[in-house]
Amino acid sequence: MSEENWIEVGSTDSIEEEDLIRFDHQDKTFCVYRLTDGFYATDGICTHEAVHLEDGLVMDDEIECPMHQGIFNIKSGEALSPPACEDLKTYPVKVDNDKIFIKID
Amino acid sequence: MNKNFIILGGGQAAVYAAREIRKNDKESNIKILSEENFLPYERPPLSKDFLLNKKNQEDLFFHSSDVLKNENIDFENISINKVDFENKKLFTKNDDFYFYDSLLISTGSENKKLSLDNNLNDDIYYLRNLEEAKTIKEKVSNKNKITIIGGGFIGLEIASSLSQLQKKVTVIEIGSQLMGRIIPKQIADLVQKTHIEYGNEIILNKQIDKIIKKNGIYEILLNDNSLIETDFLIAGIGSAPSVKLFENTNLKLDNGIVTNEFCETSIKDVYAAGDVSNFYHPLYERTIRLESYQHAQNHGICAGKNIAGVKTEYTSIPWMWSDQFNLNLQLTGICDDYDEIIERGNDINNGVIYFFLKNKNIRGACGLGIAGKVGRDIRITSKLTEKNIIVDKQILADQNQKLNKLIQK
Repeated sequence: MSEENWIEVGSTDSIEEEDLIRFDHQDKTFCVYRLTDGFYATDGICTHEAVHLEDGLVMDDEIECPMHQGIFNIKSGEALSPPACEDLKTYPVKVDNDKIFIKID
Repeated sequence: MNKNFIILGGGQAAVYAAREIRKNDKESNIKILSEENFLPYERPPLSKDFLLNKKNQEDLFFHSSDVLKNENIDFENISINKVDFENKKLFTKNDDFYFYDSLLISTGSENKKLSLDNNLNDDIYYLRNLEEAKTIKEKVSNKNKITIIGGGFIGLEIASSLSQLQKKVTVIEIGSQLMGRIIPKQIADLVQKTHIEYGNEIILNKQIDKIIKKNGIYEILLNDNSLIETDFLIAGIGSAPSVKLFENTNLKLDNGIVTNEFCETSIKDVYAAGDVSNFYHPLYERTIRLESYQHAQNHGICAGKNIAGVKTEYTSIPWMWSDQFNLNLQLTGICDDYDEIIERGNDINNGVIYFFLKNKNIRGACGLGIAGKVGRDIRITSKLTEKNIIVDKQILADQNQKLNKLIQK
C-alpha cells in the first residue's frame, strides 16, 4: 500500500457517532462515516441517481439515499434496498493521531 | 404437498410478493399472470428519465428473467377474464383455467379517462405503463406546444420533463392548487413557482369546456372563454383501482379491494396488495389506498409473508416522492388529518418541511428541497410517526437542530 494515496479527511471529532461528513477530493465526492465500531468511507454519490448521500440517514451500519430511499451497507457498499441495485464503492480508512485518512485508488 | 400460489397482475407488488413467498417456501408453485408483456418494471422513471432519454427500457426491469428462473417463479403474459372464487379458478377468454390454493390480486390501478363529446378521445394521451410512455416519447418528438390536463404528480413530472426537452408546456388544473389531493398548499405553491420560473404555464381553477381540432392543431376552450392552442394533449387526471374483474363477485370492494392489516380480503385464501388494495392501517385506524413505489414493494413483501404462512401485520408508514426539475418532493404519513402545522426551514435550497400533528403526535410531513435536502428529515419523521414519539415542537421548527438524535437508541 503506497503512502501517497492516503488522503487526510479531517479530525475524528469532526464526525458525530452514527453520522457522516462529505469529503471532496479533486473531482470526486466521498462520504466518511463514524459508526459505533469505527470509521468507514464510501463514494459520496448514490449509484441510482446522481444525488449526494451526505443528506442521507445513517442507521445501523446503513446509509439511506435521501432522494429515493435506496439503502446501502456502509461497510460493504452492498445495495440492500431498491431503487438502488448497484453497490456503492467503499474505501479503506485509517485513523492516525486523531486524524482520519482514506485510501483513494 | 406443493401448493399453487397465483399472483394476478405483474407489477412491483407482484414480483416482491413472489420473491418473498419463495424465501419462505422453497417447494410450492408460484406463478405471476400479467397482462403486460414485460417483466415487472419500475414506473417512476417513465415520466422522468425515460422521457428524457436518460434511461432505456432495459434499465427499468426490477429483475432479469434469470433471477425469476433461478427462484422458480413463473411469469406468464396472459389476460384473465373471469374469477371463480368458490372453486378457486381463474379463467382465460378461451376458458382455460388456473387453479390456485392462494391468490394474490395485485392488478394495480388504471387511468381515469376524460370523456369529450366529440371524436377526440383517442387524441388524448395518458402515461401509466411502458407502452404509453414509449408512445408519448415518440409522438412529442416533433411537437412544440404541449398541454397537460391535470396538475397532479404525473402531469407535473411530465411537464418538467417536456420543459427540459425545450417544449412549451401548459398545465390546466381544475382545482385551486397543484397536487391538491394529497399535497399541502404551502408546498404546492413552491412547486408551482418553480414550474413558472422554468417557463411552464400553470392554469388553475379552470375547466375545459370544449376541445376542437383544426388542421392538426387543438383549440382548448376554457370555462372563462379563454382559448389555448396546442399541438399535443396529455391527461393525468387520477386513477382508479383495477377491479373490473371482481365487480360481480363476493369480493368486498370499496375504493379498491378491502383488506385487513394482513393483506387478507373478504374471501378466504385471497389476498390483495399494492395500488388495488384499500388496506386497514393499525396506526391510523382507518383504511388507506396508496399509489406509490415504496408501498407497492412493502405491501407486496407483506402479502408474500402472509401467503407463505408467516403472519405479518402491515404497519409501514406511507412515503412517496416526486421529482420535478431539480426539486425533490417527499411526503410521509398522512397530511390531511391534523390540528397543528409546524414549519421547518423556508428556503428550498436547504429544504422546507411542514409537519402535521394531531394530539401532539406527528401524523405526517411533506417537504420540498433541491435534490435530497429533505430526505433525511422526512425519513426520520416516518420513524417518529411509526413509534408515536412526541417531539419538542421547537426542535421540529429549528433547522439547526438535527432530528436524528430523536430516534437514536
